[in-house]
Amino acid sequence: MTSGLPPFLLFFAGAALAGATRGAVRKALLVLVPVLGAVNIAGVEAGDQLQMQLMGYVLQPVRVDELSLLFGYLFHLAAFIAVVYSLHLKKGDGATLQHVSAMVYAGSALGAVFAGDVISLFVFWELLAVSSVFLVWSRSGARAMRAGTRYLIVQVVSGVALLAGALARVDETGDLTFGYIGLEGLAGWLIFLAIGVKAAFPLLHGWLVDAYPEGTPTGTVFLSAFTTKVAIYALARAFPGTDVLVFVGAAMACFPIFYAVIENDLRRTLAYSMINQIGFMVCGIGVGTALAVNGAVAHAFNDVLFKGLLFMAMGAVMHMTGKTKASDLGGLYKTMPVTATLCIVGALSISAVPLFNGFVSKSMIMSALIYEGHVWIWPVMIFASAGVVEHAGIKIPFFAFFANDSGIRTREPPWNMIAAMSVGAAACIAIGVWPELLYGLLPHAVDYNPYDAPHVVTQLQLLAFAICAVVAFQLWKVYPAEIPAVNLDADWLYRRAGARMVRRCGDAAARAGLALREGAAAVATPAYRAAFRAHAPHGPLARSWPAGSMVLWVAVMLAAFLFFQFL
Amino acid sequence: MSGHGPNSVPRRWARAILGVFFGLCAALVVAGFFVSPHGKHHALEEYRLFYPVYGFVGIAVLIVASKGLRRVVMRREDYYDDE
Repeated sequence: MTSGLPPFLLFFAGAALAGATRGAVRKALLVLVPVLGAVNIAGVEAGDQLQMQLMGYVLQPVRVDELSLLFGYLFHLAAFIAVVYSLHLKKGDGATLQHVSAMVYAGSALGAVFAGDVISLFVFWELLAVSSVFLVWSRSGARAMRAGTRYLIVQVVSGVALLAGALARVDETGDLTFGYIGLEGLAGWLIFLAIGVKAAFPLLHGWLVDAYPEGTPTGTVFLSAFTTKVAIYALARAFPGTDVLVFVGAAMACFPIFYAVIENDLRRTLAYSMINQIGFMVCGIGVGTALAVNGAVAHAFNDVLFKGLLFMAMGAVMHMTGKTKASDLGGLYKTMPVTATLCIVGALSISAVPLFNGFVSKSMIMSALIYEGHVWIWPVMIFASAGVVEHAGIKIPFFAFFANDSGIRTREPPWNMIAAMSVGAAACIAIGVWPELLYGLLPHAVDYNPYDAPHVVTQLQLLAFAICAVVAFQLWKVYPAEIPAVNLDADWLYRRAGARMVRRCGDAAARAGLALREGAAAVATPAYRAAFRAHAPHGPLARSWPAGSMVLWVAVMLAAFLFFQFL
Repeated sequence: MSGHGPNSVPRRWARAILGVFFGLCAALVVAGFFVSPHGKHHALEEYRLFYPVYGFVGIAVLIVASKGLRRVVMRREDYYDDE
């Protein structure tokens, strides 16, 4: 490193100190870590690197370029917001465990985006999994424990695939550098699969909708910021312009919105929404032009802000009422007006309303699709955009804060939660109004203006008439009711089908074992009986035990020994 | 809508909000005729009513299809509780 410290180091030190301190000192320290980190990273420049030798290979634990710097800035901002949001945690909430694991988690995310080689990336990749699972486990109860364990297993499998891919790549090319990889050879596919799990590609996404809604109110805010965005970073680095990603992204943007309509748990609705937003990013990376990749990573940046804001608002509701299900909530605007307002800012941002940040990044991806001639994917993504308004723009704020009065009367959440949400909301609006704030940080030079009249008008038309449809369905009373239920999804494959298969295999093995034992017994029993008849105390071979014959045989053996000695 | 309690928003507020909203929708449709797509754009954007119609129909399809999805994937809330 020519300037500054490795970005992850401050967070790991912060984690150690957060474990050793308590009370106001720890709070000050927790806030200080991302602030100092930001000062540190402001001094870091593209081109900086840290190299070391290991068993003949060159490792690059830190490699700085525009792409890693963008995610570096983002993760510092996200960590700052989430840390402030979790300052109220007390001993009873498992505060120490949550603070320490969150710091390690944020540090690992930074480590991953600055890792210059696949082995360093793998180390941080696994650290992400191991540290973040405690944010799920910290929510007491068997449900969270089980969801956390499933989450950990899936994440570790992703890490194993990454390591296998890394080793295959070293074998194929002799090069450890984490740069453009592309879908070639075993290594390319293994690394693609590893990233696909973390990015929640369709059918690999079960862990996200399973575990994120089971995290603590504060933990889920951290979770929403890092893991999937590290995956987007890795995809933008290693697979830009990979055609299949356009279709994967379109599928990701579309299928979750159907689930989001019928999901009752509002934090699970947000988890589906997250896959939908990642779909836009994946699609942009698949298109692969400078504008598209810029749009994808800019959207990742914005998603951390608005999705974080929405998760914070739902976390605040959960913290104050203990509930997150739409069927249990409603009418909270009366007692939580500030939270409701901040939630609406998040809803407007994710819906890509002009003057909010979602608009300035999603537009780049949509324009890139047209420029590159993806005439069939573009209408699909427009449909997905309208779907966002339905579930994240309307459903989340409406069912939590308005709709039918649940009778719940509560208060605004603690000041630190409000403060964190306010920072998030301010960032959403600032980037929406002054997009150049974000455009200046993007990896490629930007010449894009989202605010031209036709674009703004048509976007507003799309959103307004999407809302119109929701309103109409509500007024006609045919809008799907919020029903407490479980909706089967990809996690069913391992929670039910897989479990059933394992159980059946176990039963079959047990039956086979039993049959084997019985067969062996059928053969062995007559033999044993015959031996018993011959050698038992009353058997013909054991009838007499003359001492003389024993002495004789000992003498014979000694004679044999002597004989062989002489030979 | 959730199946409990009265509407949390007083009826006249809801009416006023919806009135303003529908007015805005109408204004947007009108405004659409005063702007024309320039630069490289999708053929569908040539139709001035594409966005309003697509937005409305898209969500209508989404909602109806989701209700269908519910028939396939919805289970009791304690479905996974015996794990």
